[in-house]
Amino acid sequence: MSRKRILNILIKEWRVLFTDVSSMMIVTFLPFLIIGQMLLYVWLAVNFAGDKAMDIGVFQNALAKLQVAIPRVADLSGAEPFLVLLLNQFTIFLLLIPVMIAMNTVTFSIVDEKLSGSLEALLATPVRTWELLLGKALAGAIPSLLMTWLVAGVFLLVLSLMGWGNLVGMVLTPVWFLSLFLLTPAITALSFLLGIIGSSRAKDAKSAQNIVLVVILPLFGLIALQVTGIAWLNALSMLGLAVLLIIIDFIVLRIAVRLFQRESIVVKWRQ
Amino acid sequence: MSVIEVRNLTKKFGERMAVEDLSLQVEEGEVLGFLGPNGAGKTTTIRMLAGIIAPSSGTAIVAGHPIPSDIERLHEAIGLLTESPGFYDRFSARRNLEFFAGFYSDINATVQIEKYLKLMGLWDRRENRVGTYSKGMKQRLALARALLHEPKVLFLDEPTAGLDPEAAQEVRELIKRLSGEGRTIFLCTHNLTEAEQLCHRIAVIRTHLLALDTGYNLRNRFFRREIIITVQDLNSAISEAVKKLAFVQEIRMADNRLTVELNEPEQNRPELVKAVVDAGGRIMEVFENKQPLEEIYLKLIREESEK
Repeated sequence: MSRKRILNILIKEWRVLFTDVSSMMIVTFLPFLIIGQMLLYVWLAVNFAGDKAMDIGVFQNALAKLQVAIPRVADLSGAEPFLVLLLNQFTIFLLLIPVMIAMNTVTFSIVDEKLSGSLEALLATPVRTWELLLGKALAGAIPSLLMTWLVAGVFLLVLSLMGWGNLVGMVLTPVWFLSLFLLTPAITALSFLLGIIGSSRAKDAKSAQNIVLVVILPLFGLIALQVTGIAWLNALSMLGLAVLLIIIDFIVLRIAVRLFQRESIVVKWRQ
Repeated sequence: MSVIEVRNLTKKFGERMAVEDLSLQVEEGEVLGFLGPNGAGKTTTIRMLAGIIAPSSGTAIVAGHPIPSDIERLHEAIGLLTESPGFYDRFSARRNLEFFAGFYSDINATVQIEKYLKLMGLWDRRENRVGTYSKGMKQRLALARALLHEPKVLFLDEPTAGLDPEAAQEVRELIKRLSGEGRTIFLCTHNLTEAEQLCHRIAVIRTHLLALDTGYNLRNRFFRREIIITVQDLNSAISEAVKKLAFVQEIRMADNRLTVELNEPEQNRPELVKAVVDAGGRIMEVFENKQPLEEIYLKLIREESEK
């Protein structure tokens, strides 16, 4: 019965999501916008400041670490090593997609239910709290995950179209695959669970979204660590990070279920 | 057989007492009117009995399921009409009901949806978005949702609030019909006329229970019963003749109306009429002056406020 109920919520959420133009745009268009914009910045940086950037101390440190991680980089010429350095940041940058989608879907999903009064009717059915939360989280997480993978594929295609096809092999490292297939699902789950916690505790969608924002800062932190050469995520550290995040996901899931107090949501929130 | 048994149910929100020491029983097939001013604890009581919020103390058994320990099975057995209908406006009525029906085991959703959309007069509009529905239609749709799984017990929170008189009457007719089917109904309302029309017993609450009885008994408890006789050329001979009757407690005369207080009007009315006629009175009208439920309600609330 649980599977039937979760599926029921999932399908309803998708119907709500895909009958609302703005929500649909956020899920389908925003990820391409994020990656397209970043690719533009990379192109501009490499073409207009690539050579000079390679002389900057922090980047030299980063390039040294990059060469250790991917020895073939030493064979590249001109600004190409700098380009590979930037393109490798996309493994982490892609993680922003599920965070952004979570912020714009799951938080509204619960807040809207409360404001429309449907949440109380829903809570009067035999649905369990964890079924409701899981259904809502999956309804956002599945498209997010699929979109992230789709965007990752399109990203590789665009690299070839931009004449950087010879560098694709230096992006498709074990770290790339670990990030995409282990870290991305873990980050997606975390973002959606935080979104649920946010909307359980906040009184409006904006406050709920602020809670999801806490995921973004560490992601930018990771990029900064790599680009400045302070640290470089190799396959082992990526695996470790993914395992840590999966453990955090389980802890956060328990917290989300405990924090989703039917009573406080029904009683304290006012239309 | 009691379908709802409430014992010493109490709910506090922080320091604020919302419901205090509420005890009552509702029998199978009974319609209980739950009356009280705003903030009296009506909705909180319904939410506790529907397993949406947990009581601070006390116990309740609804349709055989203790709360708050057996919520899932409780929700299979009850239907709740919430204060606001709460639908997904972009979905059609049918799709909304399909979604809510999907949480119940052992129901044939297609059959049930058709049955209740037809009963509520919404079948022809089933594919229209709920956002295009009037308030009355949404309320009827909410009733359909509450009934999809054929619950034994229905909790209705202000079912006619905000509806125009015609829509309110339609909803009242539906409630009567549901009552006729033998369902137990816990009806929370501000509308005293509605309570009087629909309910077997009436509970008045203001944080705690002020009264619980039939409308008839509440009237007798709070007001003396009166017969009013309109007589052509009312005179003192007639009033003296009436005073002599043993069962008469008090009489008042005003214009051509004689108001007689007595305990059992049904039994004593023929003798009273005979006494007036024997004294030469030409009776134009005889009726019992029933105090409206509103008077009883206001008296209870006023007394409580003065405490």
